[in-house]
Amino acid sequence: MADTISARSGRLGQLLRRPEAGIFLGLIAVYIIFAVLGGEKFIGPSGWSSWLNVAAEVGIIALPVSLLMIAGYLDISVGAVVPASSLAVALISNHFGMPIVVGIAGGLAVGLLVGFVNGLLVTRTSVPSLIITIGTMFGTMGLALGLTVWIKGSTGVFLVADPVTKLIFGEALGGMFRVGIFWWLAIAAAFYYLLHVSPWGNGVFAMGGDRESARNAGIPTDRLTIQLYMLSGLASAFVGVLQIIANSNAQVAAGSTFIFNSIMCVAIGGVALTGGAGSVLGVVLGTIIFSVVTQGVFYSGLDTNLVSIVIGAMFLLAVLTNDSFRNFIQIFFSKSK
Amino acid sequence: MELIRKLLRGPAAAAVLSLIAVVAFYVIVGRANLLELGAAASWLNFAANLGIIALPVGLLMIAGEIDISFGAMIPAGAITIALLSGTYGLPIEVGILGSLGLGAIVGLINGLLTTRTKVPSLLITLGTLTIMQGVVLWGAMSLAGNASIPLKSPDWAKFLFGHLIGNSHQVVIVWWVVMALAFGFFLHKTRYGNWIFALGGDRNSARNAGVPTTKMTIALFIMSAMAACFVGMCGAIQFNTTQVSGGMSYIFNVIASVVVGGVLLTGGFGSVTGIFIGTLTFAIVNKGISFTAINPNWANLIIGTTLVLAMLMNEYFRKKALAYSPKKV
Repeated sequence: MADTISARSGRLGQLLRRPEAGIFLGLIAVYIIFAVLGGEKFIGPSGWSSWLNVAAEVGIIALPVSLLMIAGYLDISVGAVVPASSLAVALISNHFGMPIVVGIAGGLAVGLLVGFVNGLLVTRTSVPSLIITIGTMFGTMGLALGLTVWIKGSTGVFLVADPVTKLIFGEALGGMFRVGIFWWLAIAAAFYYLLHVSPWGNGVFAMGGDRESARNAGIPTDRLTIQLYMLSGLASAFVGVLQIIANSNAQVAAGSTFIFNSIMCVAIGGVALTGGAGSVLGVVLGTIIFSVVTQGVFYSGLDTNLVSIVIGAMFLLAVLTNDSFRNFIQIFFSKSK
Repeated sequence: MELIRKLLRGPAAAAVLSLIAVVAFYVIVGRANLLELGAAASWLNFAANLGIIALPVGLLMIAGEIDISFGAMIPAGAITIALLSGTYGLPIEVGILGSLGLGAIVGLINGLLTTRTKVPSLLITLGTLTIMQGVVLWGAMSLAGNASIPLKSPDWAKFLFGHLIGNSHQVVIVWWVVMALAFGFFLHKTRYGNWIFALGGDRNSARNAGVPTTKMTIALFIMSAMAACFVGMCGAIQFNTTQVSGGMSYIFNVIASVVVGGVLLTGGFGSVTGIFIGTLTFAIVNKGISFTAINPNWANLIIGTTLVLAMLMNEYFRKKALAYSPKKV
């Protein structure tokens, strides 16, 4: 019975009813606008590399943040983990002269640790995750600054990586396309598997829909929450590793832009902050929209002071249309019943 | 003893304990001179600017909503008055009204979007935050050609909004205390205050009980944006110039102050005394550290620790308060 219905409405209709369809159409519209304004330079490799590089960095963080948001949580501490991980890599491998592998492991461990603390506090208390992660953000920032100045005597640390490490984490192909882009795509594929193929992902959706029922249905919600926070800490730390190896220089103050930018990418990608809905494809498309707009303005000849207005307006438009789209779906389904 | 018990059940309990703990930590571990710390203006000035915004934001959080757009409204308030009364030479009254008017408009937009859609207020105000950041930058650069716009204010405006009492304490401190008293009366003594608690407790029940939920929510958003513009405006009058950046750090500082003050982000719980003391605590942690032997680089770590500890204490006291039942005599 279900087969005949879906066959009748056709593949195109099915495709268009998916929430990603609207986001994809939005992306095409945005790209065409900036392609017209920006001309050949924006359509060419220079344009592609500029927005892909931005998309890769924020996208790696947006993926686990989107899972958290699907499960009904936020993570503000990502903005502090990025520089903390960069500094850890630089301190371990430059200042203490350990092999770069140890440095990278140390940097990633910072992220896992902050994520673990976040998860523990979120599951053990009834304090909203926004507040908890603001607290751990301050804590991580303070620890990174205090330790760096204490050990190194300055707020910035240098690190020149060996060519192999540079090739894996920090190379720019053709001098333009950073290797982080490939990491982002690989990580997105892994997240697609986690969320949409493996049973683990069902738990994430169930938790965002109704945590109490999810627990009663046997989903280990506490363990899952801690895992999600550790993933987001790990991803942020990985971006920190990419940054220090690509830029050879870590600064205490870097990273705060990731906090709101990652939330924006996720929300443009159709993930409801209230939990229970969203997809990895949507988040990747949302990240691309965000970066096409931020970089497109610079190619378009528009006043670059306008960039925030354009992003903000587009973001509001996206969350408001996602909202009405969701309402429409709900009405549609309740009528058909 | 009963008085202490009563205090501990109140929403300000953790804030008071955090304040005592922080001061004790600075005096004992940091070897700070209590008199010197008390007389210093830096943390009080910081607290006042933070506190004027924390009051309405705290009320919003009690009502179950959040506003982060104030991070852009502080510079927006400053730029508006400087453009109107500095660049275009209009009377300062017009600048003041324009600045507060802009706050009212953005607050109205935040409120309307929040009440008319199902999108969480965090996302709505993240959108208006980003847009207003752009508007501020673009407005300053295209209309004045510079991000620091000069502003000369008449003596009365300077006296009311921008002079230093005893050459050290900003007059905004007085505004903060007055506003705290007004907000305290508003939240705890009027029916509007009850409505705010009802909103945060259960919006549907509040609406069914006849509370004008939409109007109240919009009014709170307007207050919060206007308060931010007010802080920006006072800064512009005091320093005779404007800044476009610097508002962003307020976002987390204000939220942290409100949370230390015992307000529950999920709504329905909190007090103006708590918000006031929470702001004081946050300011002392942040600015008081330079009066101690502790390296100021550790300030953020102490803030984070205070925040987490205050959260845990709030949680504990809230459970106690909710489980409390008076003994039958």
